[in-house]
Amino acid sequence: MFNHTVRGSRSPVRDRAGERESTTAVRLDGVTHEYGASGGRLRSSDERTVTALRDVSIEVPMGTTVGLEGPSGSGKSTVLHAVAGLLVPTAGRVELRGTDIAALSDAERTRVRRHHIGIVFQRFHLLPSLSARANVALPLVQSGLPRSDRRERATNLLHDVGLGDRSTHRPGELSGGERQRVAIARALATDPDVIVADEPTGELDTATGTAVLELLTDIGRDRAVVVASHDEATLDVADRVITLCDGRVDDVR
Amino acid sequence: MTMREIAIRTRAVVGVAVAQLRRSPGRTAMTVLAVALAVLSVTVLASLGVGVVEKGERGLDRADRDIWISSDPVDPAASGTENPIVGAHAKSTAITARDDIQSASPIAMYDVYVGPNESALERRPAVGVQETHDGFDFREGRGFQVDAETAATPPPEEPEMNEIVLDPRVADGLNVSVGDTIHVGASRRTALTHEFTVVGISDYYSQYLGSPTVTVPLGDLQAVAGTSGTDRATFITADVTDDADRAVVASELREEYPEYDVRTRDEQVSSMIEERTIVLASGATLVGLAVVGGVVLTANLFALVARQQREQLAALRAIGLSRPLLAGTIGSQGLAIGLLGGLVGLAATPAVVFALNGFAASVLGFERLLRTTPAVYLGGFALALVVGTAVAIVAGWRAGRYARIEHLEI
Repeated sequence: MFNHTVRGSRSPVRDRAGERESTTAVRLDGVTHEYGASGGRLRSSDERTVTALRDVSIEVPMGTTVGLEGPSGSGKSTVLHAVAGLLVPTAGRVELRGTDIAALSDAERTRVRRHHIGIVFQRFHLLPSLSARANVALPLVQSGLPRSDRRERATNLLHDVGLGDRSTHRPGELSGGERQRVAIARALATDPDVIVADEPTGELDTATGTAVLELLTDIGRDRAVVVASHDEATLDVADRVITLCDGRVDDVR
Repeated sequence: MTMREIAIRTRAVVGVAVAQLRRSPGRTAMTVLAVALAVLSVTVLASLGVGVVEKGERGLDRADRDIWISSDPVDPAASGTENPIVGAHAKSTAITARDDIQSASPIAMYDVYVGPNESALERRPAVGVQETHDGFDFREGRGFQVDAETAATPPPEEPEMNEIVLDPRVADGLNVSVGDTIHVGASRRTALTHEFTVVGISDYYSQYLGSPTVTVPLGDLQAVAGTSGTDRATFITADVTDDADRAVVASELREEYPEYDVRTRDEQVSSMIEERTIVLASGATLVGLAVVGGVVLTANLFALVARQQREQLAALRAIGLSRPLLAGTIGSQGLAIGLLGGLVGLAATPAVVFALNGFAASVLGFERLLRTTPAVYLGGFALALVVGTAVAIVAGWRAGRYARIEHLEI
């Protein structure tokens, strides 16, 4: 399940698919990040800053699900952004399979995300104009795969998440749980090493949330999964839970 | 990247763009309408600008006589309150007698009262000429021609031919037609003493002067105006013979008539252009405003289209789609909207121009004030298509750059 081969990669991160079980997928080493007081990027030296992360070091091996918890503003989302290569920390290293992605260019980090990272958003962020299958196939557009191959892979992934019969439906025609499963299938489209999820059950009812968590658990068997949540049930599926407070690692259990 | 991969991506990008447009047909229709309005504003304003410029130049086009004699550069739109040339018939005859001159004729301009009765007199500009010609393009009736002998002699004390050509709007306003008799005079009182027969309907000099004008034989106009004694005219124009040098003839006439300005056609055109600088500049400004306004409107529109999709673009960027791909998605939408909006705008242009021309003719007296040339259509369409697509691509590119944390709650 979930292991559908995707054609070659030109990612700056070395492709070591055969070593998944034995290697560290993600390593944050002494990561510190400061935002401007306005909440945006740091712009000038005299602008008042907010320190979102302070010397955070985290390691996520392959086949492991790590949960992030902490109050609002504790730095959970910033850690997820750093892991996903969506931000470059002010200091420290963010290694993905041994490569410091913080040192890469914006275009290179985009390629890293495309090939090695799947993102599950709290609000799904599916394109409402496209069918479920087209949404799942979107990340494959950049790879230059023919349409038939993209459709086949998307169909298989939707089948894997239990939506084989809903592939032609648009997001607006799906329930919240179904949309999140489409989003998970999309995150898996390029067969990434790492899945990043922020409050994946935040918009779902309990029963639907449980089904989504089972899915995440399933896909996390041969990947690294980093999930941030306030929800205890969500954190229960994690092998390890890291508590953040004021941008620091407060506890690991 | 191979051509095949490029084709695959292009097809996918277009597919996403079309899906986005089809997703919100109402919003897409409004955007197309907005582009159409931008195109329409460009084509209409540019048509007005071109029309104004052409109006300014039309007098120049018709000033196709080789030599112009006057006291100042002649402004044909000045409605003839100045008639500085004295003894116009004699001077014209003397000039015509030269071997290097083919023909010469004076033209006078006065404002006169015309009307079928005392209570319906209207003040209108009148042009006095020796003859009407094919350019009059009569809508009804015919013109007049002063015979050569009369043309060579001083003007009579009283009108002799008593024929008049009316602008169509003057004829409609007075409720007269060909064959009717109307009064013509320099004042309301003297108008009642002169009766003219309407022989033709033409707007030839109206186009030339910019307001509804009547045309009468030169001698009759001078008689009505009371200038027969001094034989006054606004200017004398002359054509040189085929083998004569226009500049040389003008130079000789300049020496012969030092009290007047003698100009060749080119000099006269230059003088008229100087006097019409404001008109021409206004026309050019309208065209410039049309283009700048259209570009700004279109740019804003597509910036808005990209901004509306910013969150979706941020998500696509986050899942690994490149900025060129995102820019292509927005750019394709811009191309499609620009194409549709451009076509709608161009299709609506003739109707709007027709309506505005009708309005301008009835209120301002200018026939076909707006001129929609092929270049105007091309400019409007290029604005929608090229500017629309370019701005959309840039907006998409910028939106891709801003695919950041603040747009995603992850």
